Amino acid sequence: MELTAGVTPGRPSVVIVPYKGLFQLDLPDIWRYRELLYFLVWKDILIRYKQTVIGMSWAILQPLITMVIFTVIFGTLVHVPSDGTPYPIFAFAALLPWNFFSQALSRSGASLVGNTNLITKVYFPRLLIPLSSTISPVVDLFFSFLILLVLMPMYGIAPTWGLLLLPLFVMLTLATALAVGLWLTTLNVKYRDVGYVIPFLIQIWMYASPVVYPLSMVPAKWRLLYSLNPMVGIIEGFRWAIIGSGRPDVLSIVISSLVVVVLMAGGLIYFKNMEQTFADII
Amino acid sequence: MSAQSIVVENLSKQYHVNRSQTRHDTIRDQFMDSLTSLFSRNRRSHQHTKTTSFWALDDISLEIEQGQIVGIIGHNGAGKSTLLKILSRITTPTLGRAEIFGRVGSLLEVGTGFHPELTGRENIFLNGAIIGMTREEINRQFDAIVDFAEIEEFIDMPVKRYSSGMYVRLAFAVSAHLKPDILMIDEVLSVGDLQFQRKCMAYTEELRKSNSTILFVSHNMFAVKSMCNRVIFLSEGRVCFDGAPAEAIKLYEGENKTSALPWAQNEIGADPSQWDIHVDELETFDEQGVPLSLFNYGERMRVRLKFNVRRTVMHPNFLISFIRSDEVACCNYNTEMDGFSVPVLETDGTIELLTPPLNLVSESYKICVLVRDAKFERLYCAQVGKSFHVRHDVLNTHFGVFHEQGEWSIDTGGALS
Repeated sequence: MELTAGVTPGRPSVVIVPYKGLFQLDLPDIWRYRELLYFLVWKDILIRYKQTVIGMSWAILQPLITMVIFTVIFGTLVHVPSDGTPYPIFAFAALLPWNFFSQALSRSGASLVGNTNLITKVYFPRLLIPLSSTISPVVDLFFSFLILLVLMPMYGIAPTWGLLLLPLFVMLTLATALAVGLWLTTLNVKYRDVGYVIPFLIQIWMYASPVVYPLSMVPAKWRLLYSLNPMVGIIEGFRWAIIGSGRPDVLSIVISSLVVVVLMAGGLIYFKNMEQTFADII
Repeated sequence: MSAQSIVVENLSKQYHVNRSQTRHDTIRDQFMDSLTSLFSRNRRSHQHTKTTSFWALDDISLEIEQGQIVGIIGHNGAGKSTLLKILSRITTPTLGRAEIFGRVGSLLEVGTGFHPELTGRENIFLNGAIIGMTREEINRQFDAIVDFAEIEEFIDMPVKRYSSGMYVRLAFAVSAHLKPDILMIDEVLSVGDLQFQRKCMAYTEELRKSNSTILFVSHNMFAVKSMCNRVIFLSEGRVCFDGAPAEAIKLYEGENKTSALPWAQNEIGADPSQWDIHVDELETFDEQGVPLSLFNYGERMRVRLKFNVRRTVMHPNFLISFIRSDEVACCNYNTEMDGFSVPVLETDGTIELLTPPLNLVSESYKICVLVRDAKFERLYCAQVGKSFHVRHDVLNTHFGVFHEQGEWSIDTGGALS
């Protein structure tokens, strides 16, 4: 076998220098490693349902079962209002973004510590690790969406043009999960406590978001403060796009987006500044 | 002059060692630590959280040309691994800069990212992507990788069902097809089974022929001597010597310094000068007292320790172990079991061991020194010092750890002529 070392004049050269500056995000580097991102997402999806009997069916069963539980408890027993929509659809429209968000967040939060062997052994932009764990639950989201398409005619809900805006809200959910996940996974490298806090955080967050109840139940004077939770605008956006009644709550969607932008910028800066120490302290 | 491969300018790396930076994997650790810090903030800050920083690399400058095979040697903590980690971009330098020309591969990353649930095929793609191959490249090399690993019929089976030999072969096959311009090897030649080591050697040899640059970190001076055409000797983060292998190895073996054993740090701390007792110098001599580090099989050796006492130590038990370069602990001598009673130590002094004839196989050994109490419970000191070699024409690690003459007899079923 003849090996040829790259002695050509155009050899790639890499300069290694101390990390300096707040805003050195190396985004071109991430673009160069996009194939690895693809493989990491692919791996995540592959291994999730390996050695399960019903495999990918879990992606369909999980949200369905949650919807049934919510409908029985909150819709039938507690009589939570649902703004005139059948409760199952009302709940499912919120569970789409919520399940995606909670999965993306819990996985990205644990991502760095779960990939210690990669971080201490080989170089690639570390950002790919939380990024890939945030992206991989999109597959489950897709399956949930298929169920929704089956459920809607069952409850006599006609699709509207609003559905076309769903990808936008999906992107917003992904951005939220990544922004928060960046903070958590970076903190987790140094403080393993974070790993224990994430499940509670997600639980509390769900009740602080209009998943089982409508936004209209929140008193008007608290609405603005409440909307600082980016999942409020996102869930409202999903409900509007799917059920199509009334107008979207534009204000809460705008507020949510702004909060996400701020969280994301902070998360990225924090992550990049800690990145250089990951291999040393993980 | 050949093309540059690696240029390092004033590279330095500082680490902070801090008791509170020890790993907190469980909430209990963290909780107990928080409790201690709540209730005894003052005492704790006195004793433990004295943040000490040290320079693992201190102003290193190097130029390595395409095709050179460079050995990097030095004692534990000299900065060898830190240098490789920076050059392979796993960690960043604190000061200085380095420039790397061409693609970097390392034997450290063999099998990195392998997932037991994935099949051989899936792992080839994943691992290939992680070590820096493009998808197109992996596709092109796929058959060659499978051939090299000799696992055709198992390629679609999860690797958790592989034997360890198959697993290693597959992992190695992927790395071997990366075709790096620069290969970094950190002690790997001394781990893994014989077959794996042979593959590593063959791979290294092939890369050498194709004019790749090779950086080789090792404690095994035999391997360094036979492979490298240039050796860099690091000591305390600085370049002590850079040049001909024979000379570098001579300097390295002449160094009588000792360093703290990493595993003992949680028990007694990382700084030997803070211990009750520690060894300043460790020297080896032949039976007549002539300084020596290369012994013939069957020769006796004198190990002399200069110790420094900080606080009175009641009847310590000195232990001296020889650890082979592949981390096999080969033998141990200790004052307690050898029936030598050490008095109460209050002042500095020297202690000397004269070994029985060394029947160890031909290899490189380092000397570990522990000081415990007579019951082997308390630890006062744990250090590793210089290495020595044992030479024999035939005996090597294939023959085990040591060789002693046995007695034979034969019975051919009465069919004696």
